[in-house]
Amino acid sequence: MGPGRTLNRVCLALMTDAFGGRGGIAQYNRDMAIALANGPFDAVEILPRVAPHALDTPAQKVRQHAPRPGRFAYVLAAIDLAWRLRPETIFCGHLFMAPLGLALARLVKARLVVQTHGVEAWARPLTLQRLAAERADLILAVSRDTRSRVLAWAAIGPERVRVASNTVAEDFTPGDGRAMRATLGLTDEFVILTVGRLATRERYKGHDRIIRLIPRMMQTGLRPAYLIAGDGDDGPRLAAIARECGVGDQVRFLGHVTRETLPDLYRAAQLFLLPSTGEGFGIAFLEAMACGTPAVGLARGGAMDALCDGELGVALSPDDMCDGLLRTCCDLRAGLLETGKPLARRVDERFGHAAFERRINRLFAEDHPD
Amino acid sequence: MCGINGVFAYHGAANPPDEREFTLTRDHMAARGPDAAGAWWGENRRLVLGNRRLAIIDLDHRADQPMVGDESLHVITYNGEIYNFPALKAELEARGCRFRAHSDTEVLLQLYAIDGQMMVEKLRGMFAFAIWDAKRNGLFLARDPYGIKPLYICDDGWTFRFASQVKALLAGGKVSRDPEPAGVVGFHLYGSVPEPFTLYRDIRALPAGHCQWIDESGPREPVRYANVASVLAEAAHAPLAAADFGAQVRSATLESVRAHCLADVEVGLFLSAGIDSGALLGLMRDAGQSKVRAITLGFADYVGSAEDEVPLAGAVAELYGATHVIRRVTEAEFHADLPDILDAMDQPSIDGVNIWFVAKAAREAGLKVALSGLGGDELLGGYPSFRDIPQWTRWLRAPSAVPGLGAGLRWLGGALGLARHSPKALGMVELGGTYRGAYLLRRGLFLPFELPGRLGADLVREGLRRLKPLTRLQASMTPDPGSPAARVCALESANYMRNQLLRDADWAGMAHSVEVRCPLVDYRLLQALATAVQHMSGKNGKRALAAAPTTPLPAHQVKRAKTGFSVPIDRWLADTAHTPMDRPVTKGLASRAWGLELFEAQWAPAGP
Repeated sequence: MGPGRTLNRVCLALMTDAFGGRGGIAQYNRDMAIALANGPFDAVEILPRVAPHALDTPAQKVRQHAPRPGRFAYVLAAIDLAWRLRPETIFCGHLFMAPLGLALARLVKARLVVQTHGVEAWARPLTLQRLAAERADLILAVSRDTRSRVLAWAAIGPERVRVASNTVAEDFTPGDGRAMRATLGLTDEFVILTVGRLATRERYKGHDRIIRLIPRMMQTGLRPAYLIAGDGDDGPRLAAIARECGVGDQVRFLGHVTRETLPDLYRAAQLFLLPSTGEGFGIAFLEAMACGTPAVGLARGGAMDALCDGELGVALSPDDMCDGLLRTCCDLRAGLLETGKPLARRVDERFGHAAFERRINRLFAEDHPD
Repeated sequence: MCGINGVFAYHGAANPPDEREFTLTRDHMAARGPDAAGAWWGENRRLVLGNRRLAIIDLDHRADQPMVGDESLHVITYNGEIYNFPALKAELEARGCRFRAHSDTEVLLQLYAIDGQMMVEKLRGMFAFAIWDAKRNGLFLARDPYGIKPLYICDDGWTFRFASQVKALLAGGKVSRDPEPAGVVGFHLYGSVPEPFTLYRDIRALPAGHCQWIDESGPREPVRYANVASVLAEAAHAPLAAADFGAQVRSATLESVRAHCLADVEVGLFLSAGIDSGALLGLMRDAGQSKVRAITLGFADYVGSAEDEVPLAGAVAELYGATHVIRRVTEAEFHADLPDILDAMDQPSIDGVNIWFVAKAAREAGLKVALSGLGGDELLGGYPSFRDIPQWTRWLRAPSAVPGLGAGLRWLGGALGLARHSPKALGMVELGGTYRGAYLLRRGLFLPFELPGRLGADLVREGLRRLKPLTRLQASMTPDPGSPAARVCALESANYMRNQLLRDADWAGMAHSVEVRCPLVDYRLLQALATAVQHMSGKNGKRALAAAPTTPLPAHQVKRAKTGFSVPIDRWLADTAHTPMDRPVTKGLASRAWGLELFEAQWAPAGP
């Protein structure tokens, strides 16, 4: 225990965003902060870069400090907090903060834990980030794929890189999707859903691949309705593709969907589809399956974790996506795919909050015999 | 001696182990254990342990593995031999333990139940095992101090796998073959793959003298419990009268040979014309082994020449009353066996062909177990490195400390064309000033500065960064063993012997279902001789070994230059290499050609 440290176990969490943030990383950070507070730490102090939306109420023992968007201001605030709080652990929620995290950890003799999510850790990072990560006491990766990619560039013992999979919020449960279908004007269509940003930089998510498949689905007698939830600068291109393919009526761009509406949207769909080649994990797969809707992805990257190698969701080979998807639709109509509560139960067993907190608790507690 | 494997789906989100994968991995090791195959599934099917058994102690099926302890609290799968198991068993019985079988496996199981992970400190022998601890819901892995028995581990972040062979893990089909730059570069530096690396990023060796704990949080960092350098360092300042040197070597080696003869099957010997195996034969007789069959390799090409070991080995066999089995190997047989050799070679190694043939001969003679003189040169100063490395270090310490001089001379030597016949000479000033650098010079297949042209600058840079060859060599002689001989002993034992000789003895012996035992590679022996090693100089170590049997080896045997199991392999390999050699074949250059051939033919990673 370093000089001046209080008896309380404090974790200083350097995060891009957490409470008041949007997207998968913010959600993960919130889950992590709560799990840390419920587990090994007496207090979790979050210093976010941004908090663009109304602040949710942080959980007990979790305190979020005012965001510091500027790099310099952020560093000063981090030093100030570390010096005053004397944390036992510095948790870096993003690889690019690892050098700052390492400096603070050395300054106050704290343990350094670095979180890696997806694309940011896939390619070899800047030298300073790599060196800092290699000196971390523990690197957490959201998926086996991200872990493997970290080990490709980091000269670090593999035992110091562990997988802390995503979890799924507890309000994603099976339920009646008819009201949402009615709201969307849907009747007996075969409803396919994708949730994710429509960003030019994230075309790997593969919305366009699905749109191009819709004519073939129609040839097989299906009446598909493809719902695209999410906004971004790639929307116009996708709309143009839909028109080119003659499926403008079948493809519905829903724009940004609020967090509260999401569970009902998943419940309204028969199939959740995200043929992405670049997911760090793909939390939307979990959300869909937790709502009882079967999920389909590609056997690539972190998606294999959410799909549990095809045991929980359907993992299609990228080379066989078209036929594979048509087969999956047939299987679903024939009642061969698990749906509803049995599917949700299996998701909960593997990725539910209880499983997540237990995992985090053990990962952080194992070096502390007390 | 066996093949072991296991799959542990430790992460809550992982799928249970795939039975097909598990069986493919286990049965890839069928030659390691032809006598029985076993599997044990944990209660919730999150864990499976496997074993292929070569029965040597307690031949009954009651000693088959995996072996389940009382109330299923502990389950073990184990590969190796515990030579002090009778004493441990008696100690456990005195503490109230009851045994069902007469095997060392059961002793390990009960010892763990009582002593927990500290049990490894009590073991004498060669071993790699995994024990499932149902009370603590975790898996305990351990490997012997010298790393005689292999244990490879693989963690994908959800599922932990282990096996006795790299190729067995790959045979399961679920382990990534992504290359490990440190393994690739390491092979080119040393001619074998230095642990803990393998050629594959996801597969590592559990380092020698380490144990590891794996539970639902995943594998912890391996913990070291034994270290050659530490044993030597502890004896660094102990006095030893010259008169006691020979007596120490005599009593300690006899005691080790006696321990290594423990078996319920016949124990044979690999006999060359060298001192190590000859002395072992004499010591076996002293230990009460009255009828020993000794296997000697002879080569058709050598008949009638000074290089033929058969006449000298025959004289030693006759001296000690052993039955001498002579096995002649021809070039045609070498070429016929080559595909099988490459198939059995678990990781690339520029050596090992000799052990392949002598193990083959032992198997043909019906032997399951044979002693080998492996390790005598490392322990008792038989290599030229014991003379060269301290000498180079003395001469080159000052020039190598001059910044830029070593690199400059290397460049100059290259420009003058010196690299062609003696490539390593270029690195003398750059590397020769320290023990670690001089060792790399002595043992290196290629030197670091030669690699970028062969493997590409990026791969070499990354490989060297991960491998840190000089740092690792320094670590293998830390704490400082004290004397020049002890430093070289630590370097040779923890590098060349561990990564090459012992690996070769394992894969080549196991390919023929023959257990190779090395009485001169024994942690207890090292502890007993640590003081003597400090006082080794010149050839007194090997002379003392030659004099250890009651009837010492004859003087002409001792004087004969060391050849070991020499084989006319340089020429055979040169004929095999696809690249025609346009220069006279020296041993070093032939090794390089063979190393490249091996790597490219068998292990070069597939392109992107």
